[in-house]
Amino acid sequence: MKINKKIINKIEGEATLKIKGEKKIEFVEIEFWQYREMENYLKGRHYMDALVINPRICGICGHSHLYATVRTIEKVFNAKISEKAEIFREVTTLLEIVENHIKWFYITIFPTQITDKEYIFKAVKFSSKISKAIALLAGQFPHNSYMVPGGVTCDPTYMEIMRLKDLIKEIKEEYIKEIMDENLYSKDLSKFFENLPKEIGKGLNKFLVLGESNIFKSNGDYKKITEEKNSSLSKNALYDNEFYEVGPLARMIVNENEKIKKIYNHYKDSIYTRMCARIYEPLILLEYIEKKLNELDLCEPSFIKPDVKEGKAKVSIEAPRGSLIHEISIKNEKIEFYNIIVPTQFNLASSRKKPSPAQAALMGENIEYTDSIFKCFDICAVCMSH
Amino acid sequence: MNKATLQKVKERIEALKKLPGIGEKDFSKLLEDNGFTRRDFLKWSAAMAVMLGLPTSFTPLIAEAAEVSDRLPVIWLNLAECTGCSESLLRSDAPTFDNLIFNYINLQYHETVMAAAGWQAEENLKEGMEKFKGRYILCVEGGVPTNMDGQFLTMGPHAETGLELLTRAANDAAAVISVGTCSSFGGIQAAAPNPTGAKGVYQVINKPVINVPGCPPSAKNIVGTILYVILFGQLPAVDNFNRPKFAYGLRIHDLCERRGHFDAGEFVEEFGDKGAEDGFCLYKVGCKGPYTFNNCSRERFNQHTSWPVQAGHGCIGCSEPDFWDSMAPYEEPLANQKYASPLADATADSYGVTILTVAGVAIAAHAALSAIKNPKE
Repeated sequence: MKINKKIINKIEGEATLKIKGEKKIEFVEIEFWQYREMENYLKGRHYMDALVINPRICGICGHSHLYATVRTIEKVFNAKISEKAEIFREVTTLLEIVENHIKWFYITIFPTQITDKEYIFKAVKFSSKISKAIALLAGQFPHNSYMVPGGVTCDPTYMEIMRLKDLIKEIKEEYIKEIMDENLYSKDLSKFFENLPKEIGKGLNKFLVLGESNIFKSNGDYKKITEEKNSSLSKNALYDNEFYEVGPLARMIVNENEKIKKIYNHYKDSIYTRMCARIYEPLILLEYIEKKLNELDLCEPSFIKPDVKEGKAKVSIEAPRGSLIHEISIKNEKIEFYNIIVPTQFNLASSRKKPSPAQAALMGENIEYTDSIFKCFDICAVCMSH
Repeated sequence: MNKATLQKVKERIEALKKLPGIGEKDFSKLLEDNGFTRRDFLKWSAAMAVMLGLPTSFTPLIAEAAEVSDRLPVIWLNLAECTGCSESLLRSDAPTFDNLIFNYINLQYHETVMAAAGWQAEENLKEGMEKFKGRYILCVEGGVPTNMDGQFLTMGPHAETGLELLTRAANDAAAVISVGTCSSFGGIQAAAPNPTGAKGVYQVINKPVINVPGCPPSAKNIVGTILYVILFGQLPAVDNFNRPKFAYGLRIHDLCERRGHFDAGEFVEEFGDKGAEDGFCLYKVGCKGPYTFNNCSRERFNQHTSWPVQAGHGCIGCSEPDFWDSMAPYEEPLANQKYASPLADATADSYGVTILTVAGVAIAAHAALSAIKNPKE
């Protein structure tokens, strides 16, 4: 049997697909050939260094890594933080999710069907506004380090909060006008599906949300996660020895979002449902951010000094592409052990025994749809092979 | 800057104008489509001139250089990296002109923003390198893994290692620009114990390289360097680490908005204290501004919105060589480094430790004195 090798790039890195089959994909293996061994540099360093190093795993979703790191260290210390600091952290992390989704739509997946530079400009316009909103609290974006165990380092005034609220309002209004409205109508999404069937790319139909979050409820216990090596330089993540899909679609299904449920009932977990869930999610997040900013009390402290303790902790948060897990062991103020499991390890796992969500979505489909189906999972290759 | 220089630049731009552009759209039309006026554009050009350290008489020339920026092809390689540098460039500063122009540059190959993918992308790269042999500007993002013959990074349909691809691309380049700390000095993957043997571009190729470090560097510094090459047809003046002087000539500390507090001996003693609320100097909570050469305090990030020190966290020294080891721990002053990382000593002497030490001693002395003046409550 001939094996067709296909290179997928523009996914913040590169993946190699080994496809069996002439017209239809009979079987596919997914390989990632970059490796940086990030966890290795953390060993023996001061625990605070993780806050600066971990975001550099990824320039796209680094803020989520920062958030996960700070939460993991705080769990070891049993630290308390103020409501205000919590709101700031949530706002910037959620803004990153919104920003990632827009960029994925217009820069990553859109060109698989429509090649027009206009759409890249559109994504840039939105993402720059969002980056600016994050920078108001965090100093810069990407790669900042304003979260520290015990709170945040910034101490904004009403002036900054006013600017932030105004920006969020503007972003939300433009999102509804130019990307997708509350009734899930999107001109660009319709255009994307002009020549692409909506029912292709069905995954495993098994969903998982692990992150401890105020917006999304979880349906699993992240202590049941295991990792296994696959044929390339990346690792698979399994829950209870099974593959599951994580990410916006999982979040919508587990949280029983009615609008996405309706589409799901019709198309199941196809490429269309997956894309709708990802493009619709920012609207929910922006609304939540607006609500949270109204609850803000600026007189609260930004930082409460935690007691440094030794111990181990494991935390999961919801990142743009799904559940992100960080695990640490601190001894003598130094990092003894660190492990990171990223969402792409769930969705883009590769196995010869049983298919992962992406393998399942690709198998049985026409080979010409490979690029679109593969990218609808929003792959982060640099995270995958950290 | 005399008349002769001005004349030389004019001639250079005239010569560039004769070269074919990518010709998709007229520049003024592009501005219009994105809601900018000619006036906005000239304002940006003036700001760029100031940043590059040129007299304002250069403003119209900068504008012209920007307009012909599509004549010089740019090939952008992504090696062992996080894409943060491209991200900084592509989304944070837009749609100001820095970005617009970058999108309008004749970008022959850029993994993230090009429309082509897979085999087609590979073809574009090959074609770009052949068609513009000896003329293209090569921008590299990411460190170069060298252990195990570079096999920690293989890419493309021919499973070429990052090192092989870089060597091939650099051979025929007119100028090589390392964008970000990883391609400049190895970056995060080169942190101790450097498992993949990651190195900076200048360490693996035999050609002059301009380093634009930062994690990530600001879009202004990247675009500024490219514009400089277009304007003068040569590489900008650099410091001892090959960084353009117009951007990396001063320390963060020199123009920091909290500098007055440093001089007055007013410090944040720990995060969240009264000093933090009042915006005092962050030296004692680990700011590396006094040892770091960059223009963040002047140019800021995200459309001049803010920068880390404004958000209350010290500078981490991200544009200095080997900062992952030599500047750590990031929340402790360098002077009382308690937790030296395994390789910090070994690497420190290869990178001008004397400069650090002299500055370090003076600054630590100042901070210590102020502690006597303002005892911790």
